[in-house]
Amino acid sequence: MKVLILGAGNSLLSDEGFGVHLIGYLQAHYRFPDTVELFDAGTMGIMAIHKIEEADYVFIVDTVEADEPPGTLLQYGKDAFMLNRVPVKLSPHQVGIQEMLLVSEMRGRCPRDLVLIGIIPASTEPGTELSGLLRAKLPETAGILMDALRKLGITDSHERPRLGITNSLLQRGQSCVL
Amino acid sequence: MATRTITLDPVTRIEGHLRINAEVKDGQVSAAWSSAQMWRGLEIILKGKAPQDAWVFAQRICGVCTTVHAIASIRAVENALKAQVPLNAQYIRNIIMAQHSVQDHIIHFYHLSALDWVDVLSALQADPKKTAQLAQGLSNWPGNSATEFKAVQDKLKAFAATGRLGIFSSGYWGHPAMKLPPEANLMAVTHYLSALDYQRKAAQVIAILGGKNPHIQNLTVGGVASAINIDNPATLNVERLTFMRTLMQETRDFVQQVYYPDLLAIAGAYKDWFGYGGGVKNYFAVPEFPEDAGGTKFTLPGVLIHDGDLQTARPITSQADDFLVGNIHESVARSWYEGDTALHPWQGDTKAKYTDFKPEGKYSWCKAPRLDGKPFQVGPLAQMLAGYAAGNTRVRTMMDDACSKLNIGLNDLHSTMGRQLARGIRACIMADISLEQIDKLLANIASGDQTYANPVEIPNGEFKGVGFHEAPRGSLSHWIVFKDRKIENYQAVVPSTWNASPRDEKGEPGPYEASLVGNPVADPEKPLEVLRTIHSFDPCIACAVHTIDPEGREITRIKVI
Repeated sequence: MKVLILGAGNSLLSDEGFGVHLIGYLQAHYRFPDTVELFDAGTMGIMAIHKIEEADYVFIVDTVEADEPPGTLLQYGKDAFMLNRVPVKLSPHQVGIQEMLLVSEMRGRCPRDLVLIGIIPASTEPGTELSGLLRAKLPETAGILMDALRKLGITDSHERPRLGITNSLLQRGQSCVL
Repeated sequence: MATRTITLDPVTRIEGHLRINAEVKDGQVSAAWSSAQMWRGLEIILKGKAPQDAWVFAQRICGVCTTVHAIASIRAVENALKAQVPLNAQYIRNIIMAQHSVQDHIIHFYHLSALDWVDVLSALQADPKKTAQLAQGLSNWPGNSATEFKAVQDKLKAFAATGRLGIFSSGYWGHPAMKLPPEANLMAVTHYLSALDYQRKAAQVIAILGGKNPHIQNLTVGGVASAINIDNPATLNVERLTFMRTLMQETRDFVQQVYYPDLLAIAGAYKDWFGYGGGVKNYFAVPEFPEDAGGTKFTLPGVLIHDGDLQTARPITSQADDFLVGNIHESVARSWYEGDTALHPWQGDTKAKYTDFKPEGKYSWCKAPRLDGKPFQVGPLAQMLAGYAAGNTRVRTMMDDACSKLNIGLNDLHSTMGRQLARGIRACIMADISLEQIDKLLANIASGDQTYANPVEIPNGEFKGVGFHEAPRGSLSHWIVFKDRKIENYQAVVPSTWNASPRDEKGEPGPYEASLVGNPVADPEKPLEVLRTIHSFDPCIACAVHTIDPEGREITRIKVI
C-alpha cells in the first residue's frame, strides 16, 4: 500500500504556501516508512496526476476559501469530489482535483481514497513566510495526518526529536529543500 | 446587427486567471481586451535576497513552468558575473529544458487545448474498427488497435450513462464549429488518456537529473550540482542514465507517432483556422541550447522578424544580444501600476495602482513589454519561424513536411492553427534534441571531462544581468540588479506577458488582443472560437501574473453585455 501526502500551494504568497510548508514540517519532525511519500507539488495542477495515480491513498493539503475564520481546517473525501459536493472554493491550481480523479478512474488508476485537508488562509500577500496563525497550525495538521496514517495501519511513522531549527528554515522559504 | 461584448472570465483549462473581453459585431470579433486578473509578487519578495538563491524562489512563480524560471534566473546571475558554464552542465541543463518542453507541449495539446477541437460526445458514435483503420493509416503506433479504442469508448459510455462526462465540462459539445468525424474524436480522446503516461516519463527524467520534480534542486551559479559518476551507485550512474534514455525514447516515439499525426489530422479538418488568429506578426526567439562554455554556439537559432517577413529577419546569435538587451521596455500605461512611461526591466517598478477594469484606461495586472517600441509575439511559432528564416535544416525539413502534407504555405502559419502546428513540430524537435544532448553528455564524460560547475563567489559591488531562455511558451527573460551581494531589483519578463500584453501607451494591442480580431463567433453564448485562438498561445497567466483568486468549480462565465 502506497500513501502520498501532497502539499500544494504557492510559497511566494505567504499562507497560500501552507501545503508546501507542511511538507517541510513533516520532513523535519517525522520519520516515515518507504510506503509514505511526501511530495511538494507547488502549483502544478494536472501535471500532478501521475503522482496521484501511483498511490493507493492520497492526502492533499492546500488552502481553501470558505465562510470560516482563518486557520480553520476542513476535510473532504473522494466522494465529495466525485459527487461535486465540496462546498468550498479552491485555489486555481486545485480546480483539477475532480477532473484528475475522473480521468484516473477512466484510466483505471484512481486511488482508493483521496482526502483534501484544506485550511483557510489569513494572508495571501507576497511573502515567503506563513502568518503566525497558520504557522501555529502546522503541528495540528501534521497530527491529523499521523492519525489518518495510523487508521490505515501505518504505525511505523513517528516524531523525531525536536531540533529547534525548523522554524528559521521555514521562514526563509526553504521548506522545499529541507 | 448589434455589437455585443463577450466576457470570458476565467478562460478555462489554463493555469491561471485570464479575462478576455471580446466585442462581437456581425458574427466576428471586432476588438478584444486581454486582462490578467491577479498580481504577481515575485519582484517584491526577491529584493534584499542573495542573488545566488533567486532561482529557488523564481521557480515558485508557477507550478507548471518551474524549471524555466530556475534556468532564466541562474543565467541572469551568470550573465551579470560573466560566469562560464562547463559543457557537462550545459548538456544537463539542456536535457532538463528540452524534456520540460516535451512534457509541456504534450499536456498543452491533449489536456489544455484539444477539447476546443474534439467533441467527446461524438466519440460515443464512433466505430472502433474504423477508428483503428484511421489511426493505423496515420502511424504505426502499437496502441492504435480496435480493442483499445473499444475499451475507451465503453468507459466513455459508462461515464455518460451516469451523467459523469462532466470532466470534459468546459468542452462545447455539439457546437456548430466542431467538425471532426466520430472516429477522429474517439482516436483523440483515447490518446488524451494515454498522453498522461508520456508526460510522466518526461517528468521522471527531470526528477532524475534535477533531483526533484517539479522543482529542480541541482542548479548552482556556474553549473550544476548533479553528481555524475558512471560507476558509483549512489550518484547518477550509467544505469540511471540508460534508464533516462529509455524514457526519453518512449516519449519521443509518442510525440512522433501519436501527437504529431493527431495534430495533422486535426489541422487538416480545420484548415480554415490557418486563416484566423494571426494578429501581431512581429516575432522573436532567442538562440537555445548552448553547446559551449561561453554560450556562443547553439542548437537552435534566434531571430527577430518584423511583419512576418522572413527575408528581412535579423539573426540573434547570443543570449546577451545588445539590441535585445537594450531595447526591451515595459509599458504600464494600460496596466494597474503607477506611472505611464515605459521602463527598461533593470529600472522596472512594481507599484500597484488598481483602477477596476477600464477598457479605455488601465485594465490588466500584466505589463506591456515592447521591443523597439513594438509588440512581439513569442512562442513555438516564433522559434520555428526563426529556425526557418535562419536556414536550420532540422526546422526546415519538418516545417516543409507539415506544409506539404496539409497543402498550405508558410504564410498560413501566422494563425491560430499555425501556432498549434508549430508547437507540435517543436515537440518532435525537443524530443530529438533531448536524446542528442544525452549522447553528447555521455561522450563528453567518457572523454574524461569531470567538471560540472565553475564555483562562483558573489563579489561586492554592483552588477546587472539578464538571463534569457527560449521556454515552451516563448522567450523568457529574468533581469537582475544586485549590489554588495543583495538583490536591488528583479523583473521577470515572461512569454505570457509578451503574448497576453494589454495595449501600450500608443494604444497598440498585444498579441492575444490582435489575434482575436476577425475571428468568427458562430454563437456569442458559446464563444468556442475565442477559446481556440487564446488557447493556441498556451496561455499561462499564473506566471505572467500569479493568481490566487478562487475559482472553485465554476466554469467559464459568459456575460453578454
